[in-house]
Amino acid sequence: MVLNNWFFWEEKWMPISNATAAFILFFYLLFQIFTSNPFLTFDVEPNNGTDLNPLLQDPLLAIHPPVLFTGYVLYAITFSLVIAGMFRGFGKELFKKLKFWAGLSWFTLTLAILLGSIWAYYELGWGGYWFWDPVENIVLLPWLAGTAFTHSLIYSKNKILLSWMVFLGISTFLLSILGSFIVRSGILNSVHSFASDPSRGVFLLSLFAIFAFSSLGLFFSKSVLLKSNWPELMSKQYLLLLNNIVLLVILLIVFLGTLYPIVTEVFYEQKLSIGPDYFSSLISPLVFVLIGLFLAEQFLSNLKANKKNTLLLLGVFALIFLVLFSTDLSPINLSLIFVCLVLVILLMRALVELTTTKDIKIMHKVLGHLSVVMLTLAVLANHQYSESIDVKLKPGDQVEFSGSTLKLNSINIEGKENFDTVVARFSVNETSNEKSLISEKRVYKVGGVITSETGISTSIIKDYHIVLGDRYQDGSWSIRFSINYGIMMIWISSIILLLSMLYGTIRRHGY
Amino acid sequence: MKNLLNIFKLIVALSLPFSLCAENLYSNLNPEELKRLNYLSDNIRCPKCSYGNISSSNAPISKDLKEEIAELINIGYSNEEIFDLMEKRYGDYVILKTDLDDNKTLFLVPLMILIISILLVTTYTIKKSK
Amino acid sequence: MATRSFLVLIMALLVFLISTFTASLMQTNEIDLIENQEGKKLYISEDLYDLNGNKVAVESLLEGKVLLNVWASWCITCLVEHPFLKKVTESKDVELVGINYKDQDFNAEKYLIDNGDPYSFSVHDLSGSFSLKLGVTGAPETFLVIDGVIVSHRIGEVNMEVWNEKFAQYF
Repeated sequence: MVLNNWFFWEEKWMPISNATAAFILFFYLLFQIFTSNPFLTFDVEPNNGTDLNPLLQDPLLAIHPPVLFTGYVLYAITFSLVIAGMFRGFGKELFKKLKFWAGLSWFTLTLAILLGSIWAYYELGWGGYWFWDPVENIVLLPWLAGTAFTHSLIYSKNKILLSWMVFLGISTFLLSILGSFIVRSGILNSVHSFASDPSRGVFLLSLFAIFAFSSLGLFFSKSVLLKSNWPELMSKQYLLLLNNIVLLVILLIVFLGTLYPIVTEVFYEQKLSIGPDYFSSLISPLVFVLIGLFLAEQFLSNLKANKKNTLLLLGVFALIFLVLFSTDLSPINLSLIFVCLVLVILLMRALVELTTTKDIKIMHKVLGHLSVVMLTLAVLANHQYSESIDVKLKPGDQVEFSGSTLKLNSINIEGKENFDTVVARFSVNETSNEKSLISEKRVYKVGGVITSETGISTSIIKDYHIVLGDRYQDGSWSIRFSINYGIMMIWISSIILLLSMLYGTIRRHGY
Repeated sequence: MKNLLNIFKLIVALSLPFSLCAENLYSNLNPEELKRLNYLSDNIRCPKCSYGNISSSNAPISKDLKEEIAELINIGYSNEEIFDLMEKRYGDYVILKTDLDDNKTLFLVPLMILIISILLVTTYTIKKSK
Repeated sequence: MATRSFLVLIMALLVFLISTFTASLMQTNEIDLIENQEGKKLYISEDLYDLNGNKVAVESLLEGKVLLNVWASWCITCLVEHPFLKKVTESKDVELVGINYKDQDFNAEKYLIDNGDPYSFSVHDLSGSFSLKLGVTGAPETFLVIDGVIVSHRIGEVNMEVWNEKFAQYF
């Protein structure tokens, strides 16, 4: 697969310029050494899964590491393009290519993350769709840098902060290598960790060092040649620059939070954990800032045209928030209201634009950002309203929880080809709807591994999630019943995001 | 999509009341205490697993720990006391919650960089545009 | 100029990062994820019963050298270390007390009949709550308690090598 891609790129490469191509080929050679590693990594990861739990043989699981590494590898292209640009200058043609490849790798990486998180949600014990697990964070690092990079391409086209774009392009790729180093060397503890292999780690680390220092050194020597302009205050470019800063600060938070345990381990000989708490408390305000920035960008022309109104608007906003703060709403409720508000405003704007001009100017952009706002909303709702309860039920029993009634209909033992299973059939009633769910507990004949199959019933607003626990002496079973809100919204908005990324990428090229 | 939004808003308006039954596993806890139990088990790592908190893991020790925490809440332990007890028994590693006071750098460094860089960029922009 | 100083900063950070990683890779002494219970007092708050249902005299655990071994009939590693434990009780002057962890008493008794019984008695901890408070995360685990203080704690199998490293110095 990697090799296939390799040939494919080379073809794409040729038209750019012969001189750069020769230089890039050299990088490909170096890069080929590197490709042997992604191969090893995804060959081991599913293995690790299988000996943990036979049910990890899931198509979603099997596919997500290769997709992920394709994303990593694709960032190598943008990297080499950026390097080429430093020598040959950034022409229009190069920007076109950069945009295409940056978009494509961004898409691939996002897809991989989405696949992994869907799978993790279904599999018990993997902490739901996102758990700020070190390996998840490591994947997020190049993704965040890539996001900043893709955005920076928009303004650097006009030679604004060209060197900043170059830096982002380089660091995205470097973070991908760093990611594979950290995952492979096993210096972090994670659900993804498997038998560590220090020698591979040393190799990857030195590779990282070589790439980092050579590319940054090159950048250092060339940085004077890269003439950069500076954006104007309150221009679109300025807002994009702020977006970049916020994204990189998020990156820094993730980076610090993930690697800090290694630092304490080396210097204080102490293991510690940095949990979801840290990340979400620091990152969520920044996400709101990002959303706010996009909102400002959408209305930039209006804002500029009418300075008085802008001030008035800001004043009104500040007043609303002061009022909201004075009420005893929890921060999460407050942010929910904020995100809802933004979503409504953006939707209105899109609708107005659609009705007046019959067309939205840059459709994928509006759609992509809308989906991000939606995603944020869904995640917030999920955090705020999801509830769970542990109950003890006998067949025929029912329990009332959060307006729904859970009934355990039957428990049967069934023998299957490679496992015996306890099948529990539930029905959940809410007002007039009835849903049936099946949750299982399986004992595998080979190895005697016991696994729990969660019963999930999905609707757009909420999911019912049931885990069958242990049997008690009196024939009742412990059951964990959760109502998770917004899960479907999370998937839907991610898919919209993916589609708009893909559309935005290929649109320009007419493929 | 607008429909969805309305529904979410409806949910915001209705803060759904808890209703409990006798079959509840932790029947000796009131709703407030159950929330604490969920919070605690979300923030304590399962000591046997490579990652994952005790509420999401299906290792037997996680269940035991959750039961013990329920018991401790029932006796009247505060969240802090329970975290302390777990930390004493298993070490820092199992505490997923990050304390602001113990890790000031972790919280302050990103914030400072954010503020400094925004200020820098803005002043630079203003200077250049003049 | 600004770009260059920024780059120098980034590179300095990279050097720090890479050296930390190297140090972490070189670190040979594996730091236990879970703190072991050494140095802590053996604290028993509940009544304990042995496999025959007799109440255990708690004081006997708090005096002199006592080796506590967590085992269960379902635990495969316990079976592996079982012969070694027998050898220890034969050659050393120590009281070996078992903690039967999450096990049915009939299974436990059958295990002892099949494999021999090196334990002076075994505490029957069906619910695992005594072990949980002791800091046990699974089976097998072995504690050396001298006058009520845990001086050595092994998570996992005990064999000759582990014995020499963790326990031999106290005999």
